[in-house]
Amino acid sequence: MDKFSRRRFVATIGVATVAPAAALLEMAPAEAASPQQMTQPVSPAEPAKPVYLFFNLAEAAFIESACERLIPADESGPGALGAGVPNYLDKQLGGAWGSGERLYRSGPWQSGSPSQGYQLPFTPAELFHAALRAINRKFETQGTAFDALSAEAQDTYLKTLEAGGVNLDGVPSAVFFDMLLRMSVEGFFSDPVYGGNRDMVAWRMIGFPGAYADYYEAIDRHGEKFVREPMSIAEDARRHLHVDPNIPASL
Amino acid sequence: MVQRLKEVDVVIVGVGMVGSIVAKELAAAGYKVVGLERGDARFTVPEFQSPAVHDELRFDIRKALMQDNTREPVTFRNARSETALPVRRWESFLPGTGLGGSMVHWNGQTYRFQANDFELATRTRERYGKNFLDKDVTIQDWGVTYAELEPYYDRFEYLLGTSGKAGNIKGEIQPGGDPHESPRSREYPTPPQKEHFQGALFRKAATSLGYHPFPQPSSNLSQPYTNPEGVKLNACVFCGFCERFGCEHYAKSVPQTVILPVLLANSNFELRTGCQVQRINLDSTKKKATGVTYIDTAGREFEQPASLVITSSFALNNVRMLLLSGIGKPYDPETGTGVVGRNYAYQTVSSVASFFDEDVFINPFMASGASGTLINDFAGDNFDHSGLGFIGGAFIGAVNTNGRPIQYHPVPPGTPGWGKGWKQAVVKHYNHSVMFSLHGSSVSTRQNYLDLDPTYRDAWGQPLLRMTFDFPQNDLKMAAYVTAKGVEIGKAMGAKQVAGAPRTAPYTTTVYQTTHNTGGTVIGNDPRTSVVNRYLQSWDVPNVFVIGASAYPQNASWNPTGTLGALTYWAIDALKNRYLKNPGRLVSA
Amino acid sequence: MGCLLALGASLIIADAAPPAAKSQSAKRPGPAAAAVCQGCHGANGEGAPAAKIPRLAGQSADYLDKQLRDYATGARTNEIMQNFAKPLNEADRGAVAAFFASRTAPSIAPNPRATDFQMARGHQLAHQGSEPERVQACDNCHGPDGSGVPHSAPYLAGQSADYLAAELQSWREGERKNDAGKLMYSVAQRLNDADVSAVSAYFASLGAP
Repeated sequence: MDKFSRRRFVATIGVATVAPAAALLEMAPAEAASPQQMTQPVSPAEPAKPVYLFFNLAEAAFIESACERLIPADESGPGALGAGVPNYLDKQLGGAWGSGERLYRSGPWQSGSPSQGYQLPFTPAELFHAALRAINRKFETQGTAFDALSAEAQDTYLKTLEAGGVNLDGVPSAVFFDMLLRMSVEGFFSDPVYGGNRDMVAWRMIGFPGAYADYYEAIDRHGEKFVREPMSIAEDARRHLHVDPNIPASL
Repeated sequence: MVQRLKEVDVVIVGVGMVGSIVAKELAAAGYKVVGLERGDARFTVPEFQSPAVHDELRFDIRKALMQDNTREPVTFRNARSETALPVRRWESFLPGTGLGGSMVHWNGQTYRFQANDFELATRTRERYGKNFLDKDVTIQDWGVTYAELEPYYDRFEYLLGTSGKAGNIKGEIQPGGDPHESPRSREYPTPPQKEHFQGALFRKAATSLGYHPFPQPSSNLSQPYTNPEGVKLNACVFCGFCERFGCEHYAKSVPQTVILPVLLANSNFELRTGCQVQRINLDSTKKKATGVTYIDTAGREFEQPASLVITSSFALNNVRMLLLSGIGKPYDPETGTGVVGRNYAYQTVSSVASFFDEDVFINPFMASGASGTLINDFAGDNFDHSGLGFIGGAFIGAVNTNGRPIQYHPVPPGTPGWGKGWKQAVVKHYNHSVMFSLHGSSVSTRQNYLDLDPTYRDAWGQPLLRMTFDFPQNDLKMAAYVTAKGVEIGKAMGAKQVAGAPRTAPYTTTVYQTTHNTGGTVIGNDPRTSVVNRYLQSWDVPNVFVIGASAYPQNASWNPTGTLGALTYWAIDALKNRYLKNPGRLVSA
Repeated sequence: MGCLLALGASLIIADAAPPAAKSQSAKRPGPAAAAVCQGCHGANGEGAPAAKIPRLAGQSADYLDKQLRDYATGARTNEIMQNFAKPLNEADRGAVAAFFASRTAPSIAPNPRATDFQMARGHQLAHQGSEPERVQACDNCHGPDGSGVPHSAPYLAGQSADYLAAELQSWREGERKNDAGKLMYSVAQRLNDADVSAVSAYFASLGAP
């Protein structure tokens, strides 16, 4: 069986983007796109904006702009907005995770060392509401809004939050920023069943094949790019994605 | 109102791997055994089936299979000068729960400790002198030797079907295996798993430096296997959803795939799930256990009388069970007296990241939990520590288990934490990086220990376990040393950029490291420095056996599970052939 | 057809000539090498389910290529297929695989239809597996509703029930051996005859992807 050189294989990636689901793998002749493989996954028809159930308008405006600064759109692909990260945040904060799933919530509450981790009484939902309230109030008193700032000014403000020392109605800004960043990364890279990583854009961007994962033969192909449409736990046989953000954090 | 149940021969607290094996052996020997498990029953079908199980957010980030921390966390502080606070979210270590315990979602990395580890105090003194160790280090000998345990290691590996290559069979070094390992009686039950690309890169580089790479021993099997219990496993397909996940393919050796089918078919055994054991009950002499008290999921309280009590829950929970039950003298770090909670240790894990050009495709998502390639040249006492100022070491390997992107998106040092620069770096490096793990030993010290928290309680009103721990200087020096060696290997792989990240103090509970919590009910020949004798029998209450990694006097360079399996079979031998023939008495050494 | 072949040709090693275009029946598209296949498998690879001739339309090209290769070497045994596979050179094999992978064809409804038991049990085995037999869900590897996972497992949906059942029996008896990691052998071992017919009938009743 003739071997492909890596260089030739890299050169074929361009072809792959023309027929995105054409699965190319070295050593085999061209995998012409089969009808099954031709189609990109199809999300249910979505409006331009998600339906926010947790964030009010002002909160959503901040979240959309802030998340897009954390994970911006660029040449490699969509950022947080295009991937539906604000929608992910909205559904998680408005669900069991937001209300304290997997969080030991008994007092007494004392601040501890960094090694001791999160010690605040806030659930994630409470934390976000408090912090966003404080942030939006601050911008309001200045007669502006975060989403009206330039990108540079937004970054500067986010860095201020990240550095800590700002009290957001009882929430230390560094704690808020950390949670916002973590949840944005989750919303970007989690399975699209949760309402983020829309159409698996983030997985496609890095080449992560997703939830169907049998690599018994492919693992032998050392150093060769593995090209396959990513697959979600939520897709059916027609590649339609059925979003369901309410999966519990327990078995 | 406590309901008193009919007495049985044996009650087992915690039906994970240890509890399942003990129960199977004792039930098969004719004893009436009740297994109490606080969590739920779960099985490969339906609970571990994919695609639902391949959900990184649910199982990996949110810890869906882990001990319910909302009702039963631990409290933590680095030192006695601080107030311990609850670990409100699991991160650093992830205790399991449910039928099968944490071996349901383990990585399958199956190691033996070396002969030296079991006599660490004596051999360290002999080789390096009695003043070599820092004054606060409290390592000690186990009271049982590798040679005594070897047949039991073999038995456990054959139960699991572990895939590997022997390095030393009865003293003869075998090509392709680990030349440093202590002698084993025969080959592994199945051959090594296939090597992935990063393993191959590591192998080549390590060999070029004169080291001895070998395939990671894996209980994610390389081929179909029928174990001595007659239970069949399948070949692993390298799905990259190993640790923290159940295996859909019957390919990972977990209690459900190696022993539960046999145990659950034996009518001498009764499994009760949803039973939170509150304490082991003692008679008025406090030297004899009468059984246990537990509360079920409906909140009803039961007393289960039994002639023999085995606590085989997770290491931390074993310690807590003894403390809550008043078995053994709790350790007091102030005076240095007492034993329960003493010699708590962990694992000292460092990492090295190697970044390649974008035409080198690593495919990190193709891996099992144990399909790596590693060296033991800098583990244990396999190298001369003279002049280095520490003992112990780490295995170093390309042992990365996954490419799950929420957690795995390596970027070089100096990359911004977010924004365009971060995103570009993620895209540039995701499929072109190799992460090494340097999996280091953990000495025990006077000041690292476990006891009961004075303030915080679990949902049943019982005090939580309090953990006081920080990395000893010994281990930090070891981490720096082995990380430098790891960086050299990274460079020898031809990576464009190599970044070492040695473990540093203080220990934090906020970053995942391992769930290799050891110690607290230490094994030994001297009741002044151990909680159980060399058969894992309580010195204080002879009809209680405490089987878990809580027995380890300190932790070695390798994952604890293989050794725990050996100790389990060793203890079962003593139970069946000696204790139960003369119950109520200490089994003599 | 031409552009697909050109695509195929450009990805094959440089010195292999594309298959020569020969005059073909106006009814039968495809490379010359596929003509003999079409005789049994149908113009578009729709198969002949009752005769256990499998559907090829839209099947994974690398799966088809591997099966042809395995027939040629004897790694997969079938007298008829061996005789057709052996004469194919690598280029022809690739062209045939690519051709059928690119085809669409209506699914052929199974006859007789699956019974209620077969649908229920087949659905269970496909989606969830069965713990008493310790067999995992087919969909784990074969994709949602057996629609296939590229580079991993072929689609089963809409395949001939008799063909699927014959293959499962063949795996079970150790006769068919060209599975990776003995995965199909391990699975088939745990299926009795009723389960074999159930899961085969179930997948056959689904529309092909």
